[in-house]
Amino acid sequence: MTRLGLRARVTAAFAVGALLLAAVMALFSYDLTRRSLLEERERTAVRAAYYDAAVVRSGLDTGTPDVVAVLRSLDTGSSRRPLLHLRDGWYARTADVGAGSVPAELQRLVAAGQPAVQRVRLDGQPTLLVGVPLAGELGYYELTSLREVEETFQVVGLALTAVAIMVAGAGAALGWYATRHSVRPLTAVADAAERIAAGDFATRLDPTTDPDLTRLSTSFNHMVDQLVRRIERDRRFAADVSHELRSPLQTLAAAASVLTRRREHQDERTATAAGLVADEVTRFQRLVDDLIQLARTEQPAHRDTVDVAALARAACRERSLPESLVEVAEGTPGRWRVDRRRVEQILLNLLDNAVRYGGGPVAVRLGMRDGIGVLDVDDDGPGVPAADREVIFDRFVRGRAAHARAGTDGTGLGLALVAQHAAAHGGHAAVVDRDRGARFRVELPGAGG
Amino acid sequence: MTAVLVIEDDDRIRLALLLALEEEGYAAYGAATAEEGLRRQRDSPADHVLVDLMLPGLDGFECIRRLRRDDDVPIVVVSARDDTHDIVAALEAGADDYVVKPVAIKELSARLRALRRRGRVVAAAVPAQVFGELEISAEAGEVRRAGRPVAVTRTEFRLLCELAEHAGRVLSRQQLLRRVWGYETGDERLVDVHVGRLRQKIEPDPGNPRHLVTLRGLGYKLQR
Repeated sequence: MTRLGLRARVTAAFAVGALLLAAVMALFSYDLTRRSLLEERERTAVRAAYYDAAVVRSGLDTGTPDVVAVLRSLDTGSSRRPLLHLRDGWYARTADVGAGSVPAELQRLVAAGQPAVQRVRLDGQPTLLVGVPLAGELGYYELTSLREVEETFQVVGLALTAVAIMVAGAGAALGWYATRHSVRPLTAVADAAERIAAGDFATRLDPTTDPDLTRLSTSFNHMVDQLVRRIERDRRFAADVSHELRSPLQTLAAAASVLTRRREHQDERTATAAGLVADEVTRFQRLVDDLIQLARTEQPAHRDTVDVAALARAACRERSLPESLVEVAEGTPGRWRVDRRRVEQILLNLLDNAVRYGGGPVAVRLGMRDGIGVLDVDDDGPGVPAADREVIFDRFVRGRAAHARAGTDGTGLGLALVAQHAAAHGGHAAVVDRDRGARFRVELPGAGG
Repeated sequence: MTAVLVIEDDDRIRLALLLALEEEGYAAYGAATAEEGLRRQRDSPADHVLVDLMLPGLDGFECIRRLRRDDDVPIVVVSARDDTHDIVAALEAGADDYVVKPVAIKELSARLRALRRRGRVVAAAVPAQVFGELEISAEAGEVRRAGRPVAVTRTEFRLLCELAEHAGRVLSRQQLLRRVWGYETGDERLVDVHVGRLRQKIEPDPGNPRHLVTLRGLGYKLQR
C-alpha cells in the first residue's frame, strides 16, 4: 500500500478532528434538547393526568357511576388515552389498551398509592405512561403518545448530523488550505533541487523567509555548497592531473616524432615498436587535451556572433574533407549567437567521429528552427543501435562500431565533449533516425539571438 | 638552414624538442634560462625563438619583452598553461603565436613555416598606401607615421598589409587568421591582441582608433 501524502494526511486529520468535535457537540445538544423536551412533556402529561384523575374521582363518586361515560367525558384530545383500573377490572375508551399496557411493577406502585411515570413502547409507539393513585380504587392511568416528540428528535438529530458532516468537510477544506501554505517551502526546495540537478549550481534557498524553516533552508544550502565543492574538487583534480601530464607528454611527443622520422634507420622490430609508441603518444596527447577541455566545459557558454557556415567549412578543411559537405537550409540566418570555440569543437569532434566509426561524413547540415540552431552530421556507417544512442555520449563509452574496429585512435571523450558543449548552450546532442548511416544532431537554443 | 632557439628549463623537454626540430631540418639551439636565451640571441640571432613561460629567474613574459626590445624575431610560446589570461599576456608582451603543450612536432613545424612565410615581402607591385599620417610601404617593408619609421614585427606588418590591401572593407577574425597566420581554425585572441599591439604603434589615440577600427561581431577594417 502506498502511503498517503503529507497533505492528504494533514487534511484527513483536520477532517477527523472537526468531525469528532462536531459529533460531540451534536450529541451533547441532542441530549440536552431531548431531555428538556421530554421533561416538559412529562410535566404537562402528569399535570393533565392529575386533573383527569380528579375528574374521574368525582365522576365515580356520583353513586351509580357509568365508568365508560365518565371516561368519555374526559377532555383528553386524541393524544391522551385514559385507562382506569378499578377493583372489578380495567376500563378504557378504546379496546387497544388494557391491563397489558401497564407493567406489573407500575401497577403495584400505583396501587400502593404511589404516583408513577414510565416511558413504554405501546404497539411500537413511544408512549408516556402516567399512573395516579385513585382513592378507594386501584389507579388511574394516562397513556400519552410521544410520537410527535420523537419525530422532533429525529429532525433535530438529522439536522445535527448534517451540521457535523458539514463541519467535518469545512475542517478538511481548512486542512487542505493550511497545508498549501505549509507545503509551499517544500515546493521551493523541490524547485531548487530541480534547478541544481539541471546544472544551476548557484541556486540557494533564502533562509530568511520563514524562521520555522531556517533549519531546512540552511542545511539544504549547506548540502548544495558541499556538493558544489566536491564537484569542483573532482573537476580541478582532473584538470590538475591533465596539466601535470602535459610537460612529460611534450618530451614524449618530441621524442616519438624523432623515432618516426628515423624509421628507415631502424630494423623492422624497432620500427614497429617505435610506431606503436608514436601512435599511443598521439592518442595520449588527444586524451589529455580532451580531459582538459572537459574540465573546462563546466563554465558557461561565451556567446558571440559567429558565421557557423564558414566555421563548418573551415572545420572540413581542417580535417581534409571537402567543403561541399556543408549544406545550409534555406532561410537559415548566416550568423548565430553561439560560443565559437565550443561550436568549432562540436563540428570537429562530430567529423572525427564520422571518420572513425561512420565510414566518413556525407553531409554537415545547418538549420534554424524557432531560434534553435540545429547542426546535423550524417555519416555512411552502420548507424548506432537504439540501445547505444544514449550511452555513447557518456565519457569513455564507445559504441559497438568502435569496438568492432579495434585499434582506433579515439579517446572516448569526443562525443561527451559534444554533449557538454551543447549543454553549455542549454541544448543537447542526440543520434536521430536516418535511412542509412547515423545522424548526429546538436541543438543550440538561443542561436537565433 | 633555419635556426631555432628553444628557451625551456626542463632538460628533457628541451633535449627532445632540439632532437625533433633537428630531425625536421632546423638548426636548433637550447637555453635553460631566459638570461641564457637572451645572451644567445644577442650573440648569434636565431630565425625563430620558442619560449616556455615558467622559467627560473626572468619569466617567459619578461623574456619575450626583452627579446622584442631590439628584435622582430618571430616568437612562439610553448607552454603548459592555457588560461586566457596567460595567452593574452604572452601575446601582449610581443609573442607572435602561442601553442599549448603537448604540441605535435608536425604542428609546431607548420606554425614555424607559416611564420617564415609571413616574413617575406607581401607583393612587390603593391604601391605605398597612405592612411592619414600613416604610410605603409609593402615593397620596402616599412611603416611610417608622420614620416617617422614605426618598428613593427613581421606578424604585425603582415596583418597591416592584409588590412591595407582590403582598405575600407571589413575582414573577419577568421579571415585574418587564415591570411596572416595560415590557420584554418584557430584562436581569435591572436588577432585581437595583434590588432591591439598595432594600434599602440600606429594610432595617435590607441584607445579611440581612427584607422584600424573594430566592427562588432564582424571583424576589423583599415580606413583613411
